[in-house]
Amino acid sequence: MAANFIRFNLSQRVQHIILMVIFTALAVTGLAQRFHTAGWAEWVIMGLGGIEQTRLIHRIFGLLFTLSIVYHFSEVAISFFVHRSRLSMIPTLSDFRAVAIAVKHGFGFTDRRPQFGRFDYSQKFEYWGLIFGSLVLTVTGFVLAFPVTFTRLLPGQVVAASVEFHGYEATLAVLTIIVWHFYDVFFKPGVFPVDTSIHTGKISEKRMLEEHPLEYAEMVAEALGEADALPAEQCQPEPAEHEIQSPDTPESIESPAAIPDAAAARETQSPHACEKAT
Amino acid sequence: MKSANLWIIIGGIAVAAAVAWFSAAQAAPGAPQVPHGVAGQEKCLTCHGSQGVRPVPSGHAAFDEKSCLGCHSPSAAAPPAASPQQDCLGCHVQPSLSMTLASGETLPLVVNRKAFATSIHGDKLSCTGCHSSISAYPHPESEIPSRRDYRVAQYELCQNCHFDNYTRMLDSAHYQLLAGGDARAPVCADCHGAHYVTPPSQPRTEVSRTCSACHQDVYSEYAASVHGRAISGENGGDVPVCTDCHTAHSIESPLTAAFRLQSVKLCSDCHGDKELMQKYGLSTNVVKSYLEDFHGKSVALVGKQSKEIWAEAAVCTDCHGVHDIQAVDDPDSPVLKANLASTCSKCHPGATANFPGAWLSHYEPGMDKATLVFLVRWFYRVLIPFILAGLLVHIGLGLWRALKHD
Repeated sequence: MAANFIRFNLSQRVQHIILMVIFTALAVTGLAQRFHTAGWAEWVIMGLGGIEQTRLIHRIFGLLFTLSIVYHFSEVAISFFVHRSRLSMIPTLSDFRAVAIAVKHGFGFTDRRPQFGRFDYSQKFEYWGLIFGSLVLTVTGFVLAFPVTFTRLLPGQVVAASVEFHGYEATLAVLTIIVWHFYDVFFKPGVFPVDTSIHTGKISEKRMLEEHPLEYAEMVAEALGEADALPAEQCQPEPAEHEIQSPDTPESIESPAAIPDAAAARETQSPHACEKAT
Repeated sequence: MKSANLWIIIGGIAVAAAVAWFSAAQAAPGAPQVPHGVAGQEKCLTCHGSQGVRPVPSGHAAFDEKSCLGCHSPSAAAPPAASPQQDCLGCHVQPSLSMTLASGETLPLVVNRKAFATSIHGDKLSCTGCHSSISAYPHPESEIPSRRDYRVAQYELCQNCHFDNYTRMLDSAHYQLLAGGDARAPVCADCHGAHYVTPPSQPRTEVSRTCSACHQDVYSEYAASVHGRAISGENGGDVPVCTDCHTAHSIESPLTAAFRLQSVKLCSDCHGDKELMQKYGLSTNVVKSYLEDFHGKSVALVGKQSKEIWAEAAVCTDCHGVHDIQAVDDPDSPVLKANLASTCSKCHPGATANFPGAWLSHYEPGMDKATLVFLVRWFYRVLIPFILAGLLVHIGLGLWRALKHD
């Protein structure tokens, strides 16, 4: 049993579960309306008690979705402005470089693999896709739910355009989740059959080294530098996470970080347990 | 002595006269036996008048002398034999033949021989074919409270031949009223007539006019509508008459949830017919565009769930009107741009002048119509495959590299 790192805090884990439920409910009730002539869609709509009922359910979950977005943004804002945490989802220039390297690597032009921090470019892409998609869907969703109110100021065609936006954006979102997210968390070599870290909050050291070497290095460096200085209660050590059995150092990774120090870092604690950022 | 002689003389003369009269009556030439033939020259009423030796029965008050032979055979002027039509019409052509009902109304008992002969039944039915309870004269006594009661009682007769339409009628809103005791509800003869039944849709204009007997308000609305105005024109066959939408016999209440749900089909039966609509420069895309939009989708799905649920979303007639429907460019049309906001606000209270723009008026979005909608649609139609292809390539490359290396 390799050592585990804390990757997601409780709030993030709960948010993911809530989002998962809401997203599924919205996708099922929404796509059924969009593709209402299909047999499965009809089955869903009739199963839910008819179109009016399906719409009501969709709107209730839409409202919950809006609330969860507001919650998420508030959390990010507090984390950034109050706790001064880093916003690890912000795309940087290195993400674009990483894409270039990944493509080259994919086509076999280089054996170098891109190095990632806390979130790799595909995770950032997915996150921002979700954020923008949510904004489009929430705004157009409200337009569709209250067309009379919105057309007091806006031209009527905005409502018709919202139908297009809402339907296509949702289709794109669902397809992205199925193709991209499901690949990432179920089928990708290294996580198959399932990546549980969003539910357990933990990630193995092996995967940290393979998938997030830059973050790993940073954590190690920080832990080494600050371990003595930090008061214990601020960092809530979780001893169970640190049963060190095999301090085997992963090979074959072009990481510039201080890998030999990993064991030492683990022995102190997971530095990531302190991070309150997204 | 003198007066006694006088009385004897008077008595004698009287006896003689009485004997003479009696023997004369017995022996009068041509005094008919019963039954007796007639040569057609007799004055029937000499004997059969109310003062005659053998007055006609009381029911004959309406007849004049000329009509006796209509019923009573010239060869044997006995009480008339039953059955053949001629026998009935012998009496029932008399304009004055009628009876007074318990209600005080007069029920005319006259049939126009010629009109009956040219009616659709003229060569098919004899009187007793329908009036089967009457087989002889004098007719059996019948208690008829009122003219309406008589007609309602008689409509059951039609089903002997027209059983299919009769059973259809049993499903109708009209029959529901009738069964509920509303005698105003129409029965067969109210629409088709009794003795002078002609093909009901010849000419076609006749159909709606028949309905107008009761539904006058609706008829005047219809007559002023785009459909109603065209009915008497050369293309009158293209526009609907009442029965095209309401059917003729199984007429459903148009106020039910089920009727509302299927009303879209009523309109689209014609407005989805390319050949027919082309003639008038109308688009058949109206049905498709309706069904793809919020309203049409909702109505279709409600219909699939249950015919008993009132579809809240608009059907054709909610916007275009029902009997008073006008061409979309008619100043009175509720869907003319100037009238749209108020039409929408029937269901969407507070709808402003902007609101109708939410509905693309049956148009397909394009660069000229609903540009924004068109652009959004194509933005995604390009974006989605582009992104998905990118993701799949990325996944493919990742997997390929991973397999190659492991």
